[in-house]
Amino acid sequence: MSATGRYRYLFNPLQLGPITLKNRVVFSAHLTNYAADGLPTQQHAAYYEARAKGGAGLIITEEHSTHPTDWPYEKLIHGFHREVIPGYRKITECVHRHGTPILAQINHNGGQASSMYTRLPVWAPSPVADPLFREVPKAVDLAEIAEIIDGYRLVAEHCIEGGFDGIELQCSHSSIVRGFLSPATNKRTDDYGGSLANRARLLLQIVAAVRKAIGPDKALGVRLCGDELIDGGTTIDDAVEIAKLVDATGQVDYLNTSIGVATASLFMIEASMHIPPGYALFIPSALRAVVDIPVIGVGRFKDPLQADRAIAEGHCDLVGVVRGQIADPDFVAKARAGESEATRLCLSCNQECVGRMGLNRWLGCIENPDAGRESLRSPIMLSSKPKNVLVIGAGPGGLQSAISAAEHGHNVTVLERESLPGGQVRHAASIPNRAEFGDIVRNQMTACTSLGVKFQFDTDATVSVVRSHAPDHVVIATGAAPSRPWWASSDLERIVDVLDVLRGDANPAGRVAVLDELGFHHAPSIAELLADRGCSVEVITNGMVVGQDLGITLDMEGWCMRAASKGIAQTTDMVPMGAAATHDGDIDLQLMHHPTGSTTPHTYDWVVLCVPMIPVESLYFELQSAGVSVQRVGDCVAPRRAHAAVIDGSRVGASL
Amino acid sequence: MSLLTPIQLGGRAAKNRVMFGPHETNLGRDRAISDRHVAYYERRAAGGCGIVVTEEASVHVSDWPYERAPFSGDCFEGWRLVANAVHSQGALAIAALGHAGGQGSSAYSQRELWAPSRVPDVNSREVPKWMETVDIAAVVEGFAAAAALARSAGLDGVEINAGQFSLIRQFLSGLTNHRGDEWGSDRLLFARSVLRAVRETLGDDLVVGLRLSCDELAPWAGIVPDAAADIAVTLCEAVRIDYIAVVRGSIFTASATRPDMHTAPGFNIDLARQVRAAVAGRVVTSGPTAVSGPTAAVFAQGSIVDVAMAEAALASGACDGVEMTRAQIADADLVAKWATPERIRPCLLCNQTCQVRDPRNPLVTCVVDPSSGHELDEPLVIARAARPRSVAVVGGGVAGLEAARVAAMAGHTVSLFETSVSLGGMAVTASKASGRHRLALIARWLEAECRLFGVALNTLHGGTVLNADVTIDARGSVAGPLGIASTGTPVIDAAAWLSQSTALSIGADEPVVVLDGIGGPIGVSIAETLAHAGAVVHFVTIDQVAGNELARTGDLAPANVRLQQLGVTRHLRSIARAVTVEGVEIEHRFSGNRTVIPASLVIDANHRLPSPSATGATVSIGDAVAPRTILEAILEGRRAATSIADIATPTQRASVMS
Repeated sequence: MSATGRYRYLFNPLQLGPITLKNRVVFSAHLTNYAADGLPTQQHAAYYEARAKGGAGLIITEEHSTHPTDWPYEKLIHGFHREVIPGYRKITECVHRHGTPILAQINHNGGQASSMYTRLPVWAPSPVADPLFREVPKAVDLAEIAEIIDGYRLVAEHCIEGGFDGIELQCSHSSIVRGFLSPATNKRTDDYGGSLANRARLLLQIVAAVRKAIGPDKALGVRLCGDELIDGGTTIDDAVEIAKLVDATGQVDYLNTSIGVATASLFMIEASMHIPPGYALFIPSALRAVVDIPVIGVGRFKDPLQADRAIAEGHCDLVGVVRGQIADPDFVAKARAGESEATRLCLSCNQECVGRMGLNRWLGCIENPDAGRESLRSPIMLSSKPKNVLVIGAGPGGLQSAISAAEHGHNVTVLERESLPGGQVRHAASIPNRAEFGDIVRNQMTACTSLGVKFQFDTDATVSVVRSHAPDHVVIATGAAPSRPWWASSDLERIVDVLDVLRGDANPAGRVAVLDELGFHHAPSIAELLADRGCSVEVITNGMVVGQDLGITLDMEGWCMRAASKGIAQTTDMVPMGAAATHDGDIDLQLMHHPTGSTTPHTYDWVVLCVPMIPVESLYFELQSAGVSVQRVGDCVAPRRAHAAVIDGSRVGASL
Repeated sequence: MSLLTPIQLGGRAAKNRVMFGPHETNLGRDRAISDRHVAYYERRAAGGCGIVVTEEASVHVSDWPYERAPFSGDCFEGWRLVANAVHSQGALAIAALGHAGGQGSSAYSQRELWAPSRVPDVNSREVPKWMETVDIAAVVEGFAAAAALARSAGLDGVEINAGQFSLIRQFLSGLTNHRGDEWGSDRLLFARSVLRAVRETLGDDLVVGLRLSCDELAPWAGIVPDAAADIAVTLCEAVRIDYIAVVRGSIFTASATRPDMHTAPGFNIDLARQVRAAVAGRVVTSGPTAVSGPTAAVFAQGSIVDVAMAEAALASGACDGVEMTRAQIADADLVAKWATPERIRPCLLCNQTCQVRDPRNPLVTCVVDPSSGHELDEPLVIARAARPRSVAVVGGGVAGLEAARVAAMAGHTVSLFETSVSLGGMAVTASKASGRHRLALIARWLEAECRLFGVALNTLHGGTVLNADVTIDARGSVAGPLGIASTGTPVIDAAAWLSQSTALSIGADEPVVVLDGIGGPIGVSIAETLAHAGAVVHFVTIDQVAGNELARTGDLAPANVRLQQLGVTRHLRSIARAVTVEGVEIEHRFSGNRTVIPASLVIDANHRLPSPSATGATVSIGDAVAPRTILEAILEGRRAATSIADIATPTQRASVMS
């Protein structure tokens, strides 16, 4: 069996209209926030080049706006300005250097926008406010429709001049074309509204205009939504009919697919780990049955085998792998070389990719600290004087320090107090449906092994243990420990930390209060676990929303649905002011409703704390006093989330 | 004495006592003070402001609180240009310097936050690193280095931030400083160290100001006014401080420093009075910066937006000067118009677009003056029309009034036609809702300005509009469709309900459902109005929090407290599915469960639709294009008015067609 033999389909070349793809993995379009002042940047070029170098079969860039009325987020590429062309050339040259074709996605976001940046009315088919932006748009008149079409023509010309191999028309997610296609947002009574043929009129006019602009030698694709997942929106039956209309033009070389609407059901577009891979395959499957052109399927493919299987089963001809290639730019190359085990698997945690995007920050990755920083990185230079580096702690921070130091040529040994690596991640990943979070440890351990990092588990590091290793440098990654809030006396045994429960040291039953002061997965996760075990669970937060940051990772909807179905109560705006044991061992919790100041007692069998932890920092200071060359990373600096530990580790490991 | 009287601040004399205070603008380019900043500050100086304090610059790389937060190391050129521009208008230019500490962000620096102790910020919940001694020294040095840079850029001095978002306040406060070392046993040590380092860097001549949170509104461990007065005295006796800007607010009270119109203007004046009384006569009496006086000047602030209140604060001895920041965002010529306060374009204290701490990086601007923050790309320039035209404005809301005002100022002959009995349109309607009274001020001001410039204002005008060279359609909006089946229980749209004279005579204990599909101020204020009138109010939103979109104005938490205290039942995560004879059937967004809220009245506070266009209109503006906010109404009103010369008249159009 050849190295690629276990993938029967993935590495079969494919003709996409005029262009030839060497494999079936697409780095499909996604926002990056790398643009500056409306222009593509060096970072775009470096980012796409890394994936081209890593073997992607086809790259489709993020969207380029086709008209000045379209500016829904700050760092959008304004394709309608000629000034973009030098940046386009830079991108296409860098990608073509690796023999990889690259298409430009062009788009007008329509009513899924605000006037914040444009100071112009938002354009849409009808004055229906978007559920996210909540601004009533102006219904475009016929002259404005002509202007929209001409905008696509103009931007397509810019893209071709910039060296792209073709164009993808974004007609899903967030798009004025989607707006026209969808009965939920198109309420027109003229030739552009009503029947499907009318609703598709703008799309077909744009296809004709763009094909005319780019000529026959460039590829043209259309990305369609198969199910908007909103009341009255486009469904799979509509999508099949639209696909037929598109195919019938004879001017389109492929169809791309998607599910959901960016501003209403984004949590299904960029699904987190709670939603199984391949969840959207019914869409390409249905479209492929009625068209002759290739169809791209997408939806949380994180392993080459999943992608190969989607093609094998006939769902699609090509597979979009975005997050998988953000986490590991060499996703395809490793599969081709038969080294898929070395792939840094995407966690589908959405914390630093989707999560940063929604906050107008550059796209990054929780476990790939180079993602989004490609243009700032220089090639790793091996240290001319390899050092003996001792890392204390095998959580994500310690492991990343070890990887980074070893990559720079140092001899690295990791000491870990427990018998397994992973630190808190190991416990977080023990929650149902959070297991994939544990892949970060698997990925890091794989890297450590291949780099020759040595491990000593079950080893308590002290100053003398450290000295016995005679290290040149020490990196402290001892993590953080649970803390006890002032109101929770330590003799109240049924007030426990979330880690106590996850480690199996405490086994709450009956009425359980979960206190959320962290605003992320901790409280919702443990609440679900305990509800599954039959507890009656109430999550209580001092904030306005339980798990406030689940919104940015698109986990909020799923959590709320599961909480509703599991009968988990969510109580907000409550601050604990005291706790006491009743005569039968229950916990009387005094909760102050801070908006009104009223404090009332609430009785539970158990209370589970999800509260800020305390850094385990003593060894760092002891070594510092002892004159040892020491740095610290991750939670022992300040207890934060995993990405911070990885970034710290990467930086410190490279600086030794 | 008036606020227009000069004041000596250390070695610098300000021509008057009105300050444009430091605030976030997002006008920077990367982390530098930009050309946009320069134009923004120069415009206020040109309008008569005596003291311009620039947007706070971080003094150390460990601080990057928001993406465009200026960094002192990148500010030299910008500061130099600001100094030149502001000085050319006769005002002082001072740089605000600070460090946000644990209230910053790690998103841009990709590093841990620094703070005195491991107290997570209430909003971000991020646990900071407690600063090591070496870190503290580095930040103190950062303040000194930034001050040196400010001096070499030609600025008149610096203002050190110990206000709401500041590391110095975090050291001063028992809420956030739990240290066991000397920086905790003496919580003023850090502030003293910073001020001393800055004063030593700047020498006697330049201004050192201090922005001090004098009430953290968290009395269990925070700074209370009496303690603040002691802090101010101690600091003034340790280091020569030329002025103190008295502010309030802390980690638990993010919206208290610059609250919106729900908080009465001038709320800090007595606090300033207390601090001023305490520091009177307290000066450094020994050491290198010893002075014989004067005492630190005290600047009052806190929603002070009108001249009379500002002058009264001075006259009553509460302060030596007044910071009027939002008032000068709303009207850059505030000081120039001091003697004719009725001409000053009023700040509504709406916070809708001047409050820009938002991840989207909106540029600072103002709903009543959209040229604010846009001094370079869209200043309001009213040129005298070479060929005056006759202009008809159809609709007397703020869009129509602004169009009429600007057109009349350009010399056109303007007639405005309003079908209803009074002018002001939706701004006046919305102002009838609880807590929103200030919205009417802009309508009243525009109306008065229109009269002053000779606009013919016609109300109760139902007929067709006379022939004019240019007709501007500003007919506003109409209620949108309810979008769900409705029988039995009466449904009325929010604007119609507010407009009717019987609105406030709702029956006591009458059950009323408010359907809020927008999440802004409208639904919340209607619910409050109803509750004040005695109704049993149910508020339905699809969001997790009522008034979801109020975060930017700072009213999100306060709005929910008000709803709570008024007994409004919030049906969160809920979608209205039908209005029936019993009331409103709602569906829980996540469980799908349906319940019925009994109601005798349903108020629809959802998006509206544009009015059908006026026949023969040359151009449409404001809600007539798409129902939005006052900002867009005013912006499009003035755009239409300033482009009248470019708009073809009916005669010209006819000749082109023939």
